[in-house]
Amino acid sequence: MSQETARSTEQSASATLPMLPTTVVGSYSVPEWLERLKTDFYLHRISPAHLAEIHDVAIKAAIKDQEQAGIDVVSDGELRRDNDIDYLLARIPGVSITDTNKAYYYDYYDAEVPEPLATSETSALGLVDDFVFTRGQTDRPIKFSFTGPFSLSRRIRKSAYSNRADLVRSLARALNAEARELVAAGATRLQIDEPFLAGYPDDAGLAIEAINLVTEDVEADWALHVCYGNRYARPSWEGHYDFLFPAVLDAEVGTLVLEFARKGYGDLALFKRYPWERRLGLGVIDVKSEEVETSEIVAARIRRALEVVPPERLIVNPDCGLRHLPAFVARAKLKAMVAGAAAVRQELSQPKQATAEPSAPALTEES
Amino acid sequence: MLVEVRPSKKLRGARALNLTACLAPILDALCEDSLDLSRLRLVCDWVQYKNNFRDVIDVRPILSPAKQNGRAAEPDDDKLEIAIDLRRCADADLADVVRDVLARRTEPEGLQRVYLEDWSRGTTSRIWEFNSLYWRFLGVWEKATGRLYEQALPGGESDARNIAGVHELIKEMFLVWDDLAAHNALPDELYVIELGVGNGNQAKTWLDEFAKLDAEHGSEYYRRLHYMMCDYSEHVLSSARENVADHAAHVSSFALDATTPMTALGFLRYKVFLVYISNVYDNLPTEDVAQIGGHTYHAEIRAYLPKAGAARIAERFGVESHKLVGTIDKLLSLGPELLVDALSANFGEVARAAEFWMAVWDAVKLEERYVPMTGLDLYEIAPGVNGEMLRPMLERHGDVRMQVSNGAIASFVDTLPLLHPYGRLQCHDIFVTDPHQYRTGFLGPGKYDGSIVNWVNGPLLQHIGRRKGFDVGYAPFAHRTGTNIVTLTAQVRD
Repeated sequence: MSQETARSTEQSASATLPMLPTTVVGSYSVPEWLERLKTDFYLHRISPAHLAEIHDVAIKAAIKDQEQAGIDVVSDGELRRDNDIDYLLARIPGVSITDTNKAYYYDYYDAEVPEPLATSETSALGLVDDFVFTRGQTDRPIKFSFTGPFSLSRRIRKSAYSNRADLVRSLARALNAEARELVAAGATRLQIDEPFLAGYPDDAGLAIEAINLVTEDVEADWALHVCYGNRYARPSWEGHYDFLFPAVLDAEVGTLVLEFARKGYGDLALFKRYPWERRLGLGVIDVKSEEVETSEIVAARIRRALEVVPPERLIVNPDCGLRHLPAFVARAKLKAMVAGAAAVRQELSQPKQATAEPSAPALTEES
Repeated sequence: MLVEVRPSKKLRGARALNLTACLAPILDALCEDSLDLSRLRLVCDWVQYKNNFRDVIDVRPILSPAKQNGRAAEPDDDKLEIAIDLRRCADADLADVVRDVLARRTEPEGLQRVYLEDWSRGTTSRIWEFNSLYWRFLGVWEKATGRLYEQALPGGESDARNIAGVHELIKEMFLVWDDLAAHNALPDELYVIELGVGNGNQAKTWLDEFAKLDAEHGSEYYRRLHYMMCDYSEHVLSSARENVADHAAHVSSFALDATTPMTALGFLRYKVFLVYISNVYDNLPTEDVAQIGGHTYHAEIRAYLPKAGAARIAERFGVESHKLVGTIDKLLSLGPELLVDALSANFGEVARAAEFWMAVWDAVKLEERYVPMTGLDLYEIAPGVNGEMLRPMLERHGDVRMQVSNGAIASFVDTLPLLHPYGRLQCHDIFVTDPHQYRTGFLGPGKYDGSIVNWVNGPLLQHIGRRKGFDVGYAPFAHRTGTNIVTLTAQVRD
């Protein structure tokens, strides 16, 4: 598929999105056998060519799963990536990783930046190939995610920058060049993930500044995902989203994708307190629990969010990536999510008086 | 024939074992037999537990993988392992013993042994019912032996009560809490859990010292502290509660199985700053796996009483021989107190029932055989943990036999979700920390009073912990020398 065709396909698919569209955050269930094969690659037991073929097959299956579940905007499941950090860091020119052996594929490397990163107008990370492959597998709109500069910087142990903020900005510029190439290749929905930000709430301003460097002059529908971490299916931090505001109001993104299902919906009150007039990606699926939500629970969660965000600004998604869930659980959760969204969509399409469901209790700051 | 001598350190020094003297009569006797020696493994251990489940020489069939796959196997397809306890070799006429055990292979089953169960992988063996009985009726056992459990421990007391260790741990927690408080991220409630609380001495020491150090620290953490005492036995919890009565407002107690803490404590998911465990893992059910000649096997076991020993017990307690197994069944299901009511003619008082219990326990042995595993991924080590976790150890260390520590792993993986992102699990126990130890030492099972002890598979716990996002480290217990106790610490990594 040519880049022009890809762009055209993407745009035509976008036009057909329903109200309360469903999507994923990015990663998809990584089967145990795939983890073993990925680890085998790092132990030099299989070749890069074999691993690439394995990834192709796994991504096709992941997309098929999402399509069959009825997800409106799908992803490649990030199945090529060893983890959220190294897949990008290892490709950024100037980032040095001395020891590239891993006992387990998901481990983090020790990365350093011995010299200030060179500024480049061209992409170097190879994400375009990933996107083009994905585009060739589905007619549905695609969301393409990558980890943001702030989180990437937190895994760089030592750098030539005396000021960490300068390192974050340099990483942002590298990602900006990549984003430009992705859009040129036909990507229309890009998402920046900042899984480490919640651990450094005082740095929200810097993170948002860097996100705006990534999105600068890139004509895409941008989303920003901030969660409390999903490393090994555990939260890395606990807290509330207060720290994001008001800084996030300055972010040049159209959608804020947040974790709610595990933590509760109390932080929805922030959207009453602050003037966020853009879209909210509402986490309705707890990705840290294998217990499958019912569609009724999903619908109730959506209804609750509708008290503070109008339906045309609400997107329905899991709390975070599904990578740690067994495939059968991930499939069941996505189906429940789609069914829950469909139920609320139907309610919204009915005349007001026909709505039988009682509304959820009024949302308060404490709820 | 392969001969594996594990206690290699015993072969040198002033009190060196005369290996030639041990092996020569065994090899002579083996050569007299028609056994296919090319299919024979001879493994020599030094079983350091005075009370154990082994004979001086045991025979363990190695079943053929072909049989497991449903294909017809040749009658002589099975290999054989002969296990020798070198510690007891000087006390036996080894050639005779070998002739005897080889002759027994062709005898009808049960001629020389009274079996208490059918073959099992280990965790479901009846020996764990004895272990459970011990903890349920610890008071009866202690009364019968005239010795408290802690006195049976090396050093005469649990390492859990070491003040220096307690201080170090509490001060490290204060540092974490101070930092979280500075970032407005310290929860209102500060949870600490102890699994396997015993008599409550550790809890009392810990709480006393915590209150004292907190008063010095001046942060009022004690006011926010909730100490959750957990144990298998309500009876034990009851006496532990009395022991910590001074801290009653800060202590809750839960009767739970250490292998499934989340069943009772699920509401504390991601909230607990410290889970403290001492001498629990080594006493939880385990299975053994072995890698032999490129195949992976379950080491299946079957508990039995030697026929002569069983007859002596039956006679001593006036039990008809054919009713002995049924009487043991009653002991295990009812306990010694109710056994007196059920069989008053044999056991007039609890002390007599306790004597019967101890006599049977002393006589119980284990027969073993190796059964091929059909696939690591099909083997459930513990809920949510399959045998693939064993692969790195099995692939890296060649022919090796080891405990899987199923109970310890079940407990470990069901405890980790409780931990706050800045929480830690600390566990004092006897851990294997280097897989090489499986080649050089005997690591269980042994009998420890009325309970079972197995060294815990530390590398496997470490590997599983890593796959769940935790750094798992081992260090010799820092606050007492000359102890086998190792401290495991698990904390979130990255």
